[in-house]
Amino acid sequence: MATYIVRRILWGIALLILVSAITFVFFNVFPSADPAQLRAGRNASPQIIAYIRHELGLDKSLPVQFWVYMKNIFLHFNFGYSFYTGASVLSLITNRLPATLSLAVGAAVIWLAMGIPVGILSAVRSGSFLDRTAMGIALVFVSMPVFWLGLVVLFLFADDIGRFHVFPGANTYVGLTVSPWHWFTSLIMPWFVLAATSAAVYSRVLRGSLIEAMGEDYIRTARAKGLRERRVIFRHGVRSAITPVVTIFGLDLGALLGGAVITETVFNIPGIGRLNLDAINHSDFPIVQGTVILATLFIVVANIVVDIAYAYLDPRVRYS
Amino acid sequence: MRVSRSLIASMAVTGLLAVGITACGSSGSKSSSGGGSSSQSSSQGSSNGVQSIPLKAGENPVGQTLTGSTKKRGGTLTVYSSEDFEHLDPGESYFTQDYGVDYVTQRPLFSYMPNTSQTVSPDLATEIPTTANGGITDGGKTLTVHIRQGVHFSPPVNREVTSADVAYAIERAANPNVANPYFAGYFGAGAPAPLVGAQSANYKGGPIPGIQTPNKFTIVFHTVKPSGSFLVSALSLPISAPVPQSFAGPMDKKSPTTYGTKYLVATGPYMIKSDPKTGLFQGIGYQTGKSLNLVRNPNWNPKTDFRPAYLNAINFSIGGDSTVIGRQVLQGSDAVQFDTPAQSVVKLAYENYPSQITFTQGSGDHYVALDNASGVFKNVNLRRAVWANLDRAAIIKLRGGSLTGQPATHFIYPGVTGYEQAGGAAGPQVPWNKSVTGNLQVAETYMKAAGFKSGKYTGSATVQIVGANNGNDPAIIQLLNSDMTQLGFHTHVSLVDQSVMYAKYCGVPKQEIDACPTVGWVRDFADPLTVLYIPFYGPAITPTNNSNWGQVNDPAINSAMQKAALVTDPTARAQAWANVDKMLVNQAVAIPEDFDNQANVESKDVDGVNELWNTGTWDLDFTSLKNP
Repeated sequence: MATYIVRRILWGIALLILVSAITFVFFNVFPSADPAQLRAGRNASPQIIAYIRHELGLDKSLPVQFWVYMKNIFLHFNFGYSFYTGASVLSLITNRLPATLSLAVGAAVIWLAMGIPVGILSAVRSGSFLDRTAMGIALVFVSMPVFWLGLVVLFLFADDIGRFHVFPGANTYVGLTVSPWHWFTSLIMPWFVLAATSAAVYSRVLRGSLIEAMGEDYIRTARAKGLRERRVIFRHGVRSAITPVVTIFGLDLGALLGGAVITETVFNIPGIGRLNLDAINHSDFPIVQGTVILATLFIVVANIVVDIAYAYLDPRVRYS
Repeated sequence: MRVSRSLIASMAVTGLLAVGITACGSSGSKSSSGGGSSSQSSSQGSSNGVQSIPLKAGENPVGQTLTGSTKKRGGTLTVYSSEDFEHLDPGESYFTQDYGVDYVTQRPLFSYMPNTSQTVSPDLATEIPTTANGGITDGGKTLTVHIRQGVHFSPPVNREVTSADVAYAIERAANPNVANPYFAGYFGAGAPAPLVGAQSANYKGGPIPGIQTPNKFTIVFHTVKPSGSFLVSALSLPISAPVPQSFAGPMDKKSPTTYGTKYLVATGPYMIKSDPKTGLFQGIGYQTGKSLNLVRNPNWNPKTDFRPAYLNAINFSIGGDSTVIGRQVLQGSDAVQFDTPAQSVVKLAYENYPSQITFTQGSGDHYVALDNASGVFKNVNLRRAVWANLDRAAIIKLRGGSLTGQPATHFIYPGVTGYEQAGGAAGPQVPWNKSVTGNLQVAETYMKAAGFKSGKYTGSATVQIVGANNGNDPAIIQLLNSDMTQLGFHTHVSLVDQSVMYAKYCGVPKQEIDACPTVGWVRDFADPLTVLYIPFYGPAITPTNNSNWGQVNDPAINSAMQKAALVTDPTARAQAWANVDKMLVNQAVAIPEDFDNQANVESKDVDGVNELWNTGTWDLDFTSLKNP
C-alpha cells in the first residue's frame, strides 16, 4: 500500500510538471496576444514595448524562458507577477483560496449529505413512488444550468432583491475569520446552488450502482448468512457501489477547488474562479497560468486521494 | 405592467431591449433629461426616421443639482461595479471607471464640473491660462500655470503640493514602468505639439527641459509648436495630478511601478483607505477584485476646491453579475451602479423605477474599421457601398434600442465640440450617409463606380472580418456580414475575445484584417482632436498596439489634421476638426455605427450627479444621499 501511494505521488508530480510545461507552451509559444504589448497598455510606443519585453524576460530564448519559468515554480513557488497590478500571483491566489475552499467544501458536504441518502433510498425502494419522485426531481436539477439556478434562487430568496427575504444575497460574502455567522449565512444559497446539480447526479449514479451491487452473489450470501438487511445494504452493498461516486467526487471537488467560476460570479464570491475569469478578461497571463497549475494540483491530489480511498473501500483493488 | 420575477430571471441572459418611446420628455424622471429645456437641440429629434430621446448634448440633465440647500452631507455610498479597476495610479489611468476614482482622490491642474462635457475648469491651477491673462504666450508655445497654495498630500506625505510635484507627475508618465498611454500622443513624440525635450521617441522619462518650475507655485510648459488651449485640455488628464517624487520615485524604479498598485497618496477630498505611516492601500483599502474603500482625506482643504464632497465614505463592491447588481441598486438603498447596467436592468428601471435611471449622451461611438491600406476596401467606392447598405438603425436595436444610442452619421459624437459643425445628428448629406436603414440601390451605384457593373462584387478576394465575441457584438457582426454578402462579397468571420481582437488582429496592421466591425472610441478629453487624431491620422499608425485600425493614411486628411491641431482659437478649432470629420465621411474611411448613450442607475435615496464629460458615470464628488 505504501509503495502504491508513493508511486501515485511520483506520477502526480510528473503530471504537474507536464501540465506546467504545456501551460508554458500555450501562453508563451502560442499566446493569444503579445504579453509585453498587453502590459504596455494602450498606445504604447514600440520602444516602450521592447523595454517591457526585456523587463519580463520575454526577449530571451524560449528554452531559457522555460527553464526560468519551471525553476521559479518548482524551486521558489514563484508564479510570477500580474501584468496589471504587479502583485505576486501566489499572493493573489492564497488571498482568494479561502473563499473557494469555503464554497467548494461546504457544497461538497451538502451534496454528499443529500445525494447519498437519496440514492440509497431510491435503490432500496427501486420502482416505488418515492424512487420515481426522487429521480424525477434529480433529473430536473441535473438539467438546470448553475447560472440560471443561481439567479432564480437570488430572485426568490435573497433578502435584498428576493421575493421572500430569507438569506443574504449576492455581495455579502465575508471571511470565516471576520464573522463566522455571516460567513455561514452568506454561503447558504451558493452552497445549495452548487450542490443541487451534483447531489442529483450522485443520487442517480449511486442508485444505479447500488441496484447492480445488490444483485451480486455476495449480497445473496450475506443475506443467507442471516445478516440484518441494514447491514447487508450498508456494509456490503453501499461499500462496493460507492466507488463510482468516490471517483466522480474526487474529480468534482478537485475541479471545484480550481474555482467555481459561475457561482462565484453570480454571488460575487471573491474566489479563484473569479480571479481566473478576471485574468482571462484582462489577458493577465501569469494569473491564468497560476490558476491553471493550481487547478491541476487539486485534481492530481484529488485523484491520488480517490485512488487510495478505492484501495481502502474495495479489497480487490488493494490486492491487485 | 410589472413583470414576474421568474420571467425576469429567464430574461436576464437575453439581450434585446425593445422599449418604445411613448413620449419625448415624458414624466419628471431623469430619463427625460434635457426635456425641461424648451428647445430641443437641432441635433436631436426624429431625423433619419429614427426617434431619439431629447437629450441635449453637453447640458445639465434636468434635476441635476450640484450644490445648494437640498444637498445633504454625510453617509456612506455603496458603489457596485462588476468590473475591477485597471489602474489607480493617475499616471497610468485611461479606463472610464478609473477616472471615477482619480477625480475624487486627485487634483489635476484642470478638470470638469459634472454638468459639462466641453468646458474645462481650473482645479489645482488657479485659473485657465489664456492669451488675455498672459497664461498663453510665445504664439501659443508657452503655457504658464499658477497652482493653488494650501493643497496638501494625504498621509504619509502630508506636505503642501508644489509645482515640482506636477512636473514629476508628467515626467514619470514616460517611464516604461508607468507607461502612461497618453504621454506620447499628447505630450511626446506623437503629439502635434510635443513638450520641448520630450519629442524624441526614445525619451523614457526624466526631467523634461520643456517643463520649468520657476517657483513653488508656478509651472511653465514649452512646446515645440503652438498648442495653446489644446495643452490646457490635455492637462485635464489625470497625468497632471501631482505626485511627490521623494515618495513615488523609488517605487517607479520597479517594473511595474508600485505607486498606484500598492501605495498611493491623494490630493482630492477622498483617499483610498491606507496605512497612514506608509501609504500602503493594497490589502487595506483595496482588495483586488473585491472592494475599494474611499475615506475622507484628512488634509483636504475644501476652501481650495470646487468639489463639495458630500459623502463621508464611498465603498466599492467589485464583481458580481450585472443583472444582480443592478437590481440590488434599484431595490436597495444608498447605492449606485458604476459600470454599464445590463439591458434587462435598464428595461426594469425604465419601466418600474423611472426616477432612478439617467441616460447621458456622449459616451462614445462605435464604427466599422475598414482596411484602407490593402485588400478590397482600398477602393473608396467599395467602402461607400458597404456604408450605404448598412442598416445602422438595426444596430441601435441590437444594442438595446434608442435609449442606448442613436445611429452615427459621422465621427465626432454628441458632447464633443465640432459635433454640430460636422453635421449634427443628420451628418454630412452624402448619398451613402443619407439613409440610416441602408439603401441597396445607392450601394449598388457605388459598386458600379468601383468597376462592378452588375452592382455586385465579382472579385475573388475574401473579406476577413474579425470581431469580438462579447455581448451584442456577434449579432452586429452578423448584420455587417449580411450587408457585405448582399453586395456579393465573400466573407470570413472570426469571433474572438475583445482584447485579442485588438491586440492580435485589428491592432496589428500586418494582419491586414479587412473589417473590424465593433471597434469603439471615447474621447480622452474635451477636444475633438482626441476623437479623430489617433484613430484616423496616418503617422499615428504603429506596427503593434495600433489604434488607427483602418490604417487610414490619406495625405489630404493628414494635412488637415496637422493644421487643425495647431488652431488655438476654440471656435475655429471646432470648425477645423469638423471639416476633418467631413473629409473622413467623404472618404468613407470607416463606417460610423452609433453614438452611444450611457445608462446609470441609482437607489431611490441617492441624489446622484452624472459627470457628462466622463461618459456620464456618477460623479462621486457631487453625489449625495437624500437621508444620510
